[in-house]
Amino acid sequence: MSDVNRQTEEAWDLIIEPKRSLFDLRLKELYGYRDLIGLLIRRDFVAAYKQTVIGPFWFLVQPLMMTLVYMFVFGNIAKLGTDGIPQPLFYFSGTILWNFFAHSLTQSANTFNANAQLFGKIYFPRLAVPISYAATGLITVGVQFVVLLLFYFYYLFTGYAFHPNWWLLAVPLLIFQLGALGVGLGIIISSLTTKYRDLKQFLTFGLQLWMYATPIIYPMSKVPQKWLWVYQINPIAPVIEMFRYAFLGGDNFPLGSWLISLGFSAAVLFLGVAFFNKNERTFIDVI
Amino acid sequence: MSVVVRAEGVSKEYRFGVINNQSLARDMQSWWAKVRGKEDPWTQIGKTSNFGRRDRFWALKNVSFEVKMGERLAIMGRNGAGKSTLLKIMSRITAPTEGRIKLRGRVASLLEVGTGFHSELTGRENIYLNGTILGMKKTEITKKLDEIIAFSEIEEFIDTPVKRYSSGMYVRLAFAVAANLDSEILIADEVLAVGDAKFQAKCLGKMHDVSEKQGRTVLFVSHNSDAVLNLCNRGIILDHGVEDYVADNINEVVDRYNKLIKSQ
Repeated sequence: MSDVNRQTEEAWDLIIEPKRSLFDLRLKELYGYRDLIGLLIRRDFVAAYKQTVIGPFWFLVQPLMMTLVYMFVFGNIAKLGTDGIPQPLFYFSGTILWNFFAHSLTQSANTFNANAQLFGKIYFPRLAVPISYAATGLITVGVQFVVLLLFYFYYLFTGYAFHPNWWLLAVPLLIFQLGALGVGLGIIISSLTTKYRDLKQFLTFGLQLWMYATPIIYPMSKVPQKWLWVYQINPIAPVIEMFRYAFLGGDNFPLGSWLISLGFSAAVLFLGVAFFNKNERTFIDVI
Repeated sequence: MSVVVRAEGVSKEYRFGVINNQSLARDMQSWWAKVRGKEDPWTQIGKTSNFGRRDRFWALKNVSFEVKMGERLAIMGRNGAGKSTLLKIMSRITAPTEGRIKLRGRVASLLEVGTGFHSELTGRENIYLNGTILGMKKTEITKKLDEIIAFSEIEEFIDTPVKRYSSGMYVRLAFAVAANLDSEILIADEVLAVGDAKFQAKCLGKMHDVSEKQGRTVLFVSHNSDAVLNLCNRGIILDHGVEDYVADNINEVVDRYNKLIKSQ
C-alpha cells in the first residue's frame, strides 16, 4: 500500500512552487511549444504586411534607402572612405547586420511590456516570444543577404579584386552571434524594465551611440590609435570585421577579439535566459 | 479515483500601493537614505517607506485542497476573496509566495477567451494561433479544425480577418477553440459570461459532457449560482484569502455562498 502511495506521490506532471533554480532553463518545455513559435513568426510577418502594396519588399526598401543616405553623407560629403570597398557593398552590409542586431535587442527588450496583456491571461514559456522576434529578424536579414550577394557578384564580375576565403563558412555563425547577443541583452533589459522603465529611454539613444562606436559607416583604418580600445571592448566590432574579411579579404583579421566576443555573446545569452526565466514567474505582479 | 490536483498551503502576498518609486534613480535615492539612516525622500506623507518590507497583505493564505479525476469543482467567493489569485497561480501566470500545487495531466486554463487573437489574421489563422498558445500542437488542431469551426457556428466567415467580426462572433470562435482542447484539467474563469444565453448553455453543456464522458477535471470560478449548479459537483468558498467552506454537495456550497453575500 505504501509503495503504491509513493508511486502516485511521485507521478505529478507539474509542480508549481514559489522558487525555481536560476539555471533550470526548461528548454524541453520550450521545444514542446515550437509550433507556437512558428505561428508567432508567421503572425508578425502577416500582420506587418497586410494591406500594404509592396508587402515584404518593405524590408528591402529601408536598408537600401539607408545605404543611399550613407553613401551621400558619409561617403561623398564627409569622405570617410571604405577601405577601397565599393560604397553600396560597404554600407549595405553594415546596415543589415546592425539592423538585425538592433532589431533583436529592442524587440526582445520590450517582451514583457508589449505582451503584458497576453502574459497576464495565459501561460506558455515566455521565451517563445523573444525567440520569435529573433527568428523574424533572421528571416529578414536572410532576404537582405540575398540582395547583398547580388551586389557582391556584380562587383566581383566587374573586376574588383576581392579575396573571399574559407571564413565564408563562418558567416552563418557570425549572424547567429549577432542574434544571440541582441536577444541576450534584450531579455536582460526586458527583465529589468518591468520594474524600471528608465532603461527603455536609455536604450534608444544608447543603441544609436553604440552604432557610431561600431565600424558600420566607416572602416577600422580610419580609427585613431588612441580610440582603438573602444573597439576592443565592443563585442559587435569584430563580428562586422570578420564578416567583411570573409567576403573581401584584406589585412584586418581580428581573430582573437572575435573569439572573445563569441564567448561573451554566449555568456550573455545564457545569463539572459536564466534571468528571464526567473523573472517571468512574477513579472506580472510588478509590471 | 486518483487525485489530479493537490494544493498544499498555497499563499500569495502582494504589496499595497506602488511597488517601487517607478524609476531606478529614485530607488537608489531611497536606498541611499536608508543606508544613512535618513528618512526616505520618496515616501508619501503619512505612509511607511515603499522600500521596506512593510505595506503587504496576503491575497491568499494557506489554501489547501484536492481534486479527483473527473470532478467539477466550483471556486466561489466575493470580490477580493482571492479567487483570481488562486486561478493565476494554478495557471502559472504568477508564482505562489508559499506552498505548492501539484498537477497531473495536461492543464488548459481559460482566464479569458480569445487570448492572443490577432485582429489582422483570419478566423482560421487565429484558431491555430490561439490553439498553440493554449498548448495544442498544430497537427492536433488540424484534426479538430472541422469540429471547432462547426461549434463556432460561423463557417462562412472563417476566412475573414477577425477585426471584421462582431463581438459575438469573436467570442463564439474563441470559445470553440477552448472547448475543443484536449486537456485533462480545465481551469476556467467566468469566461462563460459571454455570448447569448443559448451559446452559454452550449458551452456549459460541452464542459459537462467532456467531464462525464472523458473524465476531464474542471475547476470553475464563478459568481453565477445557476452556472455553478448546472456544471459543478463540488465546491470551495474562499473568503478574505482563506478557505471558508468546502463541500461535496454543490447545493450546500451555493446556499452557503448566497448567505455569505447577503450577510455583507
